[in-house]
Amino acid sequence: MKLPEGRLVRSRVVEDPRTVLVDALDRDLTGYAVFEPQDALLLDERGRGLVTFRAGVPVVAYHTGTDRAGPPALADLAAAGPYRLELFALAPADLAAVHDRPAFRVPPGMPAERLAGDQALADRTREAAPPARPSDDRTGEGLAGATGGDAEGGPDDHQPGAVEAFLDDEAKIEAIREQARAEAADRADEWGFDDVA
Amino acid sequence: MVEAFAVASGKGGTGKTTSTLALGMALSEDHDVTVVDADMGMANLLFHAGLAEVETTLHDVLVDGGAPVEAAVYERHGMDVVPCGTNLADFEAADPARLREVVATLAADTDVLLLDSAATLSSRAAVLPVVLADRVVVVLEPTIPALSDGLKVQEYASSYGTETAGIVFNKVRDADAIERIAPKAERYFEGPTLATVPASDRVRTARRNGRPLLAQAPDSEPARAYREAAATLSVRDGDSEAVADRFRSAVVPESP
Repeated sequence: MKLPEGRLVRSRVVEDPRTVLVDALDRDLTGYAVFEPQDALLLDERGRGLVTFRAGVPVVAYHTGTDRAGPPALADLAAAGPYRLELFALAPADLAAVHDRPAFRVPPGMPAERLAGDQALADRTREAAPPARPSDDRTGEGLAGATGGDAEGGPDDHQPGAVEAFLDDEAKIEAIREQARAEAADRADEWGFDDVA
Repeated sequence: MVEAFAVASGKGGTGKTTSTLALGMALSEDHDVTVVDADMGMANLLFHAGLAEVETTLHDVLVDGGAPVEAAVYERHGMDVVPCGTNLADFEAADPARLREVVATLAADTDVLLLDSAATLSSRAAVLPVVLADRVVVVLEPTIPALSDGLKVQEYASSYGTETAGIVFNKVRDADAIERIAPKAERYFEGPTLATVPASDRVRTARRNGRPLLAQAPDSEPARAYREAAATLSVRDGDSEAVADRFRSAVVPESP
């Protein structure tokens, strides 16, 4: 996915992808965000995640490491954090070409709901989205009106939703579990839980 | 005979307290159930159970020379409920070490002990209920951070010798997607999916009215799902003395 570089409006390390989504929405950003996980444990998961925005609302997602687009790219860029985040502003015309690729799109509320786990932010983002995003139908946005959420892709879509894609990534899940086990063991010493366990 | 469950999530906002009370009410049809607000720093069970105005809470029991635990036990909706207060000064004055004795006392006289646990793994006091329980019920939402934090809870629990009784998917908005998500999640969790609970305004209404969901809207879809969860959760007959001893001998949680 090729994008012009744009004007850098923010660069910092954040703990949580939610920060990025809130920032883009509050700024009414037209442009894109680059997420680069800093987690050493997941270093073999090289690559960066990209999410584009139109007037603060997410439009497409792509991951350079896995070369996946749409909802699975959201799963690919989910990491334990922190992330190096860069936000770039672009003219709408510069985004037209990538926004015209339905397979790259994510439903407006999906990053907030599934990646950040923030239902209120997802609702706010959907309200800010233009009334018709017809090309999103294939990712289930057409169902969203009825269910109040962004559907996770359907069995007929050849593309899993963001949460499914996350659960399909056994290596990433194992990394999360290993990290938690190591943390639990460290803290057992620190907290004196050894006698209990 | 008692089994102690920690109801935990690792992440806030998953509906842990709603789930604790709903499971408690459903289990109380066949068991003596005691529900304890073990989230002492962010207590909210009292609001869910209509106990916001009560005189004595767990905090009053945990202070030096405080009330006997019986004074903080309230019979509500067929369960014994032990709420915690929300006053930060009371929390600071409370001695969490006494929690062990309190829970040990309660364990002697109930079949099921449900500990509504803190939505964090960042302090000893927050993790303690997960350490002391026999099994943990992990409350999830079908989102990446909730699943990721739920997995962490399970790893902490199993590191400390606590099994996973099962997972509850709460606030489910996409019934088709959860059919695909739940089996995939089950590959990583040691317990089964006890229930998938649909998102519903009835839950919010129940909370606003200070009534547990199963009392407020017993015929609602979410209430039905929780009853199924309780039916799937076969309670084991643990030795009350063993549970009590485990709590009594537990390490002293650090002060907040």
